[in-house]
Amino acid sequence: MLVGKPAPLFQADAYHNGKITKVKLEDLKGKWVVICFYPGDFTFV
Amino acid sequence: MEVLSMSVDSVFSHKIWNDTELSKMVDGGVGFPMLSDPGGKIGKLYDVYDEDGGVNVRGRFLIDPQGIVQAAEILSPPVGRNPQELLRQIQAYQHNQATGEVMPSGWFPGESTLKPSTDLAGNVWKVWQPKK
Repeated sequence: MLVGKPAPLFQADAYHNGKITKVKLEDLKGKWVVICFYPGDFTFV
Repeated sequence: MEVLSMSVDSVFSHKIWNDTELSKMVDGGVGFPMLSDPGGKIGKLYDVYDEDGGVNVRGRFLIDPQGIVQAAEILSPPVGRNPQELLRQIQAYQHNQATGEVMPSGWFPGESTLKPSTDLAGNVWKVWQPKK
């Protein structure tokens, strides 16, 4: 169970505003962060 | 506040989905980074990877500025989330971290909060009642 524990750190490629970028969770320390996982692009809901 | 979305799809698939569909639902297209998680490696770290389907299910995690997970919600694929509830939780946690106050069941911004203390133990009913 993750609630109350440090969020697992990761680095991932991302598509953002027309560009391919890299996102590192560690770089977002000091901000509130929401991560939304979803099953796949072009799913309906 | 940073929002990140994540699926096992490639960044190129994210681009096509944004450009051909999502940009027709949201002005200017998706405003936050759409992350790629090939093989669900990150999904596994967050325990939202479904081995049988080979996808990450609808897991949502709220992480505070110290890097601690404060809230999580996990839905199976057929049902979408409620962003209003996420906003309510963010406002509640931010209020808690700013004031030390705690938010009772069904709290919405602007409503009364509770200040934990020895005197309050057993006396919550005097200052707070559930909505009818």
